[in-house]
Amino acid sequence: MKKIISLILVLAMVFAVAVPSAFAARHTKIGIGLYSDSGAGNDAVKAFLKNLEPTLDCEFVYTVLSTNDEALNLTKVQELIAAGCDGIIITMDSSMDSILAECRDAGVYLGGYLCDFDSSFRNNYDGVFKNENFVGAVADGGCGDDIKRGYDFFDSVIEYNERNPETPVRHVAMTAFPAFAFPYQQSFIAQFNEKVEEYNAANPDKAIEVDPFNDDTDILMFRAMDSTYFNKHPGIDAIVSVCSGSFVYPTMVSAGVSNTMKLFAAGYNDGDNAVFGSKGAYQMEIISPVEAIVYPLVLLLNKINGVAFPDQPADAERKSSSVLLMNSDEDMAKFEKSIYLTANAADAFLSAEEVLNLTAYANPNATYAGLCDVLEHMTIDDLK
Amino acid sequence: MAENVKTAAGKTDERVSFAGFIKNHIFDLTAYAGLAVMVILFLIFNSGPRFMYNLSSVIQAAAVYSILALGAVFIYSMGFMDVSLGQQVGVYVILMILIGNAIGGVLGIVVGFIAVLALALLCGAINGAVSIFLGLPSIVTSLFLMFFFTGAQYLMMEATGENTIRLAQTIRPADRNTYSLMLVIIIAVLAIIGGYVFNYTKLGKYTRAIGANKTTAQQSGISLVKWQVFGYMALGFCIAVGSFVMLTRTGTAGKGTGTGYAMDIMICLILGGMPLKGGMKSKISSALVGAFTYTLLSNVLTTMGVPLNWINFVKACIFLLIVLLTCRKSKGILPR
Repeated sequence: MKKIISLILVLAMVFAVAVPSAFAARHTKIGIGLYSDSGAGNDAVKAFLKNLEPTLDCEFVYTVLSTNDEALNLTKVQELIAAGCDGIIITMDSSMDSILAECRDAGVYLGGYLCDFDSSFRNNYDGVFKNENFVGAVADGGCGDDIKRGYDFFDSVIEYNERNPETPVRHVAMTAFPAFAFPYQQSFIAQFNEKVEEYNAANPDKAIEVDPFNDDTDILMFRAMDSTYFNKHPGIDAIVSVCSGSFVYPTMVSAGVSNTMKLFAAGYNDGDNAVFGSKGAYQMEIISPVEAIVYPLVLLLNKINGVAFPDQPADAERKSSSVLLMNSDEDMAKFEKSIYLTANAADAFLSAEEVLNLTAYANPNATYAGLCDVLEHMTIDDLK
Repeated sequence: MAENVKTAAGKTDERVSFAGFIKNHIFDLTAYAGLAVMVILFLIFNSGPRFMYNLSSVIQAAAVYSILALGAVFIYSMGFMDVSLGQQVGVYVILMILIGNAIGGVLGIVVGFIAVLALALLCGAINGAVSIFLGLPSIVTSLFLMFFFTGAQYLMMEATGENTIRLAQTIRPADRNTYSLMLVIIIAVLAIIGGYVFNYTKLGKYTRAIGANKTTAQQSGISLVKWQVFGYMALGFCIAVGSFVMLTRTGTAGKGTGTGYAMDIMICLILGGMPLKGGMKSKISSALVGAFTYTLLSNVLTTMGVPLNWINFVKACIFLLIVLLTCRKSKGILPR
């Protein structure tokens, strides 16, 4: 009897989940493969896209990709295609040859989001960026020659010092992810050091000391920073983390330095606003606007509808997006009213009608330059 | 085995015989019924224009599972398991890419595969022999290999300076249907060879005997070291071939390649009706039935419209259900 009851319960659950969707009306369907399925960023992008569904007559389905398992990512893309997707947006530059072969065989188009596709750009440009099934990608901030995040970190430190002349940051150490995963982070560090050298030469009385990069402790292997970091860098006032602060801040708390040491970091994680600016250690955070997903989305919708912009380049491109950079209480107050934290589509940079207006099939006057221009105006100062 | 029972009137009661047959073959019948249900649902929910695409996707996804599971049958039939399987796959795919790119051409691929095959057979021999010589449970030696290969995979990828490495040449047929046919042929050939070896040679008979009762097998003159080593080498051979098939599928590898395969193969075998304690009821067919059931399950749930993030949850429920249905004793949980 127990087995029969368990059988009935499981079958009921499967069909309750499956059948309504299986017989739902057919729409244009876009699959979204994200880094993870939790966090404020995920909630925000889903809220933004959900709001677009009726206006674009488009349905979005989601899956989670692996950061380093190509076969799994290929299987996930196959699942999205099996689910009836006409276009797919992925956040990983992995197994692109085989994924694009799948797209070719299924007549599906592919776009990139939150990823600069640097490996494909350097090693497989013809296979990816000249592939007719690939529409292009928008990066997580800058890409290619458009990288200047190291300068942003420096500017934030200087702004902090100007706001806090009594307790300035004079001695910093840095952290980064490994170069094989994020090669540009080494460029950020070089940019930061370059600016510090210029600044110290011009302001010897306010010189900032930057500890040499220590490969043992300063490269974070996608795990929380080791507490030996503080032994390797005694006397520092702040940590400049070109990778997400979520790998650094918990170690600062457990080491008991979060009340005295400052943190300038990339990324934003749930609850960071409670310890930001005058409230805690975080003095700078950078996050990509979720609305940047309109770049691959619009290009996919154009392709699916068989149209193209009059000024569209022959090859697919990877584009930089502006970033939301917070380095003051005022910035954070603005950010707290953005879709990133409210998960309310009304707080987004773009309404559904504005997104529709960016497409070539709905607006004959729409241009590729116009779409790219939108990506330039998603900064903290552009928040409504 | 089903037995006929004579009634008071001296006539054979066929109903008792049928019930006995069902009882004795509950694992096989449940496994085949599960596969049949999946095939029917696949046909129902894939009647659209992407039928052939989805069919070939299933074949592609099932190919690696099938090949690895065919090898795993030899060690599961002894009541052992190997948790290093996934990490071995990861390292072997990376090695084949590195060697293939260094030498170039078809020769590079052939040399890469031979090197990986030799390494896989060696690791199989080590895995089987060390556990006997040191008196360790086989899972302990496979744990050692798992950590070894995890470290090796990480170091090799770090040395490349890339998150993903890619085979410079294409080894997969451009036509999707040709590729699927190629995979079907590989699976069929390995299944025929595996079936013959498992059912008609000493290797299959002795590994099952070891799984049924190790002491009895030893007292019957079966060399535990020899046949355990050969069993693990059979798995090693299949890991090498499975790694090659995976390489044909993606053409790339990274730090996470192969992750989770050890558990996936265990699930495939259980879905295919394999008794986890091994023994004489072990069947080579469990590998194919389980691999295709497992793969079809994902595809069917997807095409039925189950939200993609719910699929693992639903699969877990179905897996639990199968375990409950195939549970032999009221006290037992897993098939044994």
